[in-house]
Amino acid sequence: MNKPVSSHAGTDISTWQAFCATLKRDLVIALKRKNDLLNPIMFFLIVVSLFPLGISPDPVELSKVSAGVVWVSALLASMLSLDNLYRADYEDGSLEQLLLSPQPLYFLVLAKNIAHWLISGLPVVVLSPLLAYMLYLPSEAYWTMVLTLLIGTPVLSLFGSIGVALTVGLGSRGLILAVIVLPLSTPVLIIGAKAVTDVMFGLPIGNHFALLGAILALALTMAPLASSAALRISVN
Amino acid sequence: MWLWFSKLGSPRWFYELSSKWLPWLYAAMIVLMAIGLFWALLIVPEDYQQGQTIRIMYVHVPVASISLACFPLMAVAGTITLVWKMKLADMVAKSVAPIGAWFTGLALASGAIWGDQIWGTWWAWDARLTSLLIQFFLFIGVIALRSAIESQDAAAKACAVLAIVGAINVPIIKYSVEWWNTLHQPASSFSMDPVAPNPPEVWVPLLIMISAVYVFFVIALILRTRNEILQRERRSQWVIDLVSREKSV
Repeated sequence: MNKPVSSHAGTDISTWQAFCATLKRDLVIALKRKNDLLNPIMFFLIVVSLFPLGISPDPVELSKVSAGVVWVSALLASMLSLDNLYRADYEDGSLEQLLLSPQPLYFLVLAKNIAHWLISGLPVVVLSPLLAYMLYLPSEAYWTMVLTLLIGTPVLSLFGSIGVALTVGLGSRGLILAVIVLPLSTPVLIIGAKAVTDVMFGLPIGNHFALLGAILALALTMAPLASSAALRISVN
Repeated sequence: MWLWFSKLGSPRWFYELSSKWLPWLYAAMIVLMAIGLFWALLIVPEDYQQGQTIRIMYVHVPVASISLACFPLMAVAGTITLVWKMKLADMVAKSVAPIGAWFTGLALASGAIWGDQIWGTWWAWDARLTSLLIQFFLFIGVIALRSAIESQDAAAKACAVLAIVGAINVPIIKYSVEWWNTLHQPASSFSMDPVAPNPPEVWVPLLIMISAVYVFFVIALILRTRNEILQRERRSQWVIDLVSREKSV
């Protein structure tokens, strides 16, 4: 499907250029809307700090659940920010333009998903050691947690994208997005949190990373296709 | 073959054909269920470890096996909807979702009752229980999506996509959970040897119960699909004729 780059720039662009343009556009829009950028991160911080209040301030108890708490909060933060992925584009009509473009939709959707991850997933990954410290996660597990989040949060964006694409046309969505997306995300949560817990007990964790990587590879190749199909259904 | 295929897609043809099937299916279900239940609940000897509670197996295993089959079935129906735009496939996909949710719920409930007796707890975060629970959530998601989208055509396609994505995910969930925590015993194998752990006198009634519950499932699916056909085709002449005939009788 690659079209040759012609001398008339802008009228006929390659898939790679379209991919970069979509990515750049989404990032620029996100940077201009500071609230959308900050809210998922604040949400992540607040949810994580609710757990010590709800469970116990005791370091021993907290360190036991810390891996799971950080992972669940990252999952929820990713889901909360999903709405930005296609909603505004759907409302102002630019989503239709995206669907009408001659470029393969797979790459455009992938670009939007990567942008979403850079905006909502990456800050969570960067912040996670701080929160892990506050939850008394043993220091030997820090790197494992950051790495699992680094591999796992893109999967959350990619799976979540399918859910948003399916529901973007609905007037009142309420919690339906959560009902669709959260069960799909459970394998990543299980493996990610398990890897962090295992490293705390000194167990080998290579297989966890292999599985996470496999899921990421599967999600990268398949999820944008499902999102594209879902977008074509929702925008009619 | 293709003529048959396109005929199968016609709701009217299915409605008329299933009217002929239903009496036979009812008869098969009643016979199988009667034999199976009688054999399983009264004749099968007590298990030397589990005692009478082994009889729960004759409900739990059939129900659980169907609950596992429902999601792939929904995904296949969804694929047919997306690829061939067959109306009937979507009616089946829509009908199988609530049945699948029910069977998953029943498998969880019967498993909990059995678990209370054998493991001493109603609920454990065991691999199979957890993956079945997540599958239950997936069914709820499909049903919720269906009811949220007003346009029937868009709902059909959207649910088909979700069913396919879910069906790909079900084995991943199953394996990740399995490897996360396992308490549930692995599925036992069938053996003809009378001194084997599972002699024929134990598994033959189980096979009968499984087929009985499968027939029940098929009947439920057909009935739901027929309702769906009548509702969607209510403006077509053959449904109007059918209803007026029913009224006059």
